[in-house]
Amino acid sequence: MLKIQNLSVNYGYIAAVKNISLEVNEGEIVTLIGGNGAGKTTTLMAISGLVPKASGTITFKGVNITKMSPDKIVKMGICHVPEGRRIFPSLTVYENLMAGTIGNPSLKKPQIKQLLEKNYELFPRLRERMKQSGGSLSGGEQQMLAIARGLMMDPDIIMLDEPSLGLAPIIVEEIFDLILKIRNAGKTVLLIEQNASMALSIADRGYVIETGNVVLEGKGRELLANPDVRKAYLGG
Amino acid sequence: MEYLLNQIVNGISQGAIYALMAIGYSVVVGVTGLITFTHGEVIMIGAFASFYIFQYIGNNLILGIIASFIASWILGMFIYYVCYDRFFEAPSHISLICTIGASMLIRNLAQIYFGPNQKPMLNIIDNKVYRIGVLQVSLMQIVILITVVVLASILAFFINNTRWGIMLRAVSQDKKAAYLMGINVRKTAMIGNCIGCGLAGIAGLLISIYYQTLQATMGGSLGMKAFSSSVLGGLTDTRYSALGGLAIGLIENLGITISTASFRDIFAFGFLITVLIIRPEGFASRKGAKSQ
Ligand SMILES: Nc1ncnc2c1ncn2[C@@H]1O[C@H](COP(=O)(O)OP(=O)(O)OP(=O)(O)O)[C@@H](O)[C@H]1O
Ligand SMILES: [Mg+2]
Repeated sequence: MLKIQNLSVNYGYIAAVKNISLEVNEGEIVTLIGGNGAGKTTTLMAISGLVPKASGTITFKGVNITKMSPDKIVKMGICHVPEGRRIFPSLTVYENLMAGTIGNPSLKKPQIKQLLEKNYELFPRLRERMKQSGGSLSGGEQQMLAIARGLMMDPDIIMLDEPSLGLAPIIVEEIFDLILKIRNAGKTVLLIEQNASMALSIADRGYVIETGNVVLEGKGRELLANPDVRKAYLGG
Repeated sequence: MEYLLNQIVNGISQGAIYALMAIGYSVVVGVTGLITFTHGEVIMIGAFASFYIFQYIGNNLILGIIASFIASWILGMFIYYVCYDRFFEAPSHISLICTIGASMLIRNLAQIYFGPNQKPMLNIIDNKVYRIGVLQVSLMQIVILITVVVLASILAFFINNTRWGIMLRAVSQDKKAAYLMGINVRKTAMIGNCIGCGLAGIAGLLISIYYQTLQATMGGSLGMKAFSSSVLGGLTDTRYSALGGLAIGLIENLGITISTASFRDIFAFGFLITVLIIRPEGFASRKGAKSQ
């Protein structure tokens, strides 16, 4: 469904991503794991067209999106929930959710209503705080809003960049449950996580990235059992 | 006392025009995230557009307003492509200097094509004056107030209640996140910028009707007043910027009651400096953190 071939990204003279290739099939949960500065966020930004690519091709549902503008890429059905949430602080929760629907022009009013209802069911907190400004939510609530906002565009694939960052363990579990729910609702998920054990335990497949290179790939469970991965990311 | 009351009326009318300029300014700065020094020239173009409409087509205020809006919209597009479009990622002083250059260019071209001298604005509104007790209110002042209130309300409705408004606010709060919502950020920023310019152009029409003159160099001090009003309002908040404009109009007109009309600008900018010393963030109180 999403295919990345030989992607490289440079920031000035820093090579952040070097010749990465990866693939996400429909209905899968695929995770990218790796240490700080490995190039995970950069890879997602390159898919979304937010950073210029030095080389490589990206195709989505058979269409070459390498040179598309970021807003068109979203409209292809690719949702990117960015690192650090980036909700709109002075829009209300409701308006933040409505902003999400802009990414899918085919949505009609009744569908938007349905999506809204679905998201409020998934995140009852957001319904309570509908009229509150996004910036006044707690970190965890903001993360939920960021995910809900992404789901509002009813995308085919959702890319989540460290959704559990800075959240209490109990909320982290909720988020992972949610990712499974999203997949079971028919979506494809590309997940970036520092929490490698949890990510690998729910993922169908995973890629391990180090200093801009894919160093390992395999089934989630295989990677979880791999001694090198255990040593580097799971604390032995 | 009577003089003072009437100066308050004058101050409110003039302040309403400054408020419209400032609203335009804060829309531009909000949506582009960059400071502009071309606003005065946009105001001037708006004034000249309606001047020529009145001269060649007829004394129709609505037609004048439309012409001012369109002319300054087009100038806004020019400014957007020259000064902003390629510089969103660059350090912000680059586009700032670019707007200073563009403003000089536009002002000098205007002096060449419109002539350097003051021109009399046609008197398109009846010279009627209404008396309410000791208060004197001219028809022109009423027309000005109504125009500003109507335009500000349309803008507020548009920004607060439509999908378009959500896009505009999303772009002004976080451009990267706005891209990830599928918003065409460049197009939205361009249109937002042009809306702000269009409103400023209409303000240019109103101020030249009010003073009954216009001039190619009028943008200099008017642009500064729009900027000051907007700074008083915390730069990007349209409501507080409007309040800033109103305050400057009032202070100016009250100030000249105790001195002479040539001291007008001293009161305006003196007030700005005083407020900023006491309250550097302006009238507005910041809600929620502004990300990038
Ligand atoms: N805007 C930028 N300018 C210059 N260098 C950058 C920029 N953004 C990222 N980098 C560099 O690119 C490399 C990859 O960064 P990236 O954010 O992709 O890492 P990451 O894998 O997401 O890390 P983390 O897990 O800490 O989020 C890092 O070395 C980083 O310093
Ligand atoms: Mg990252």
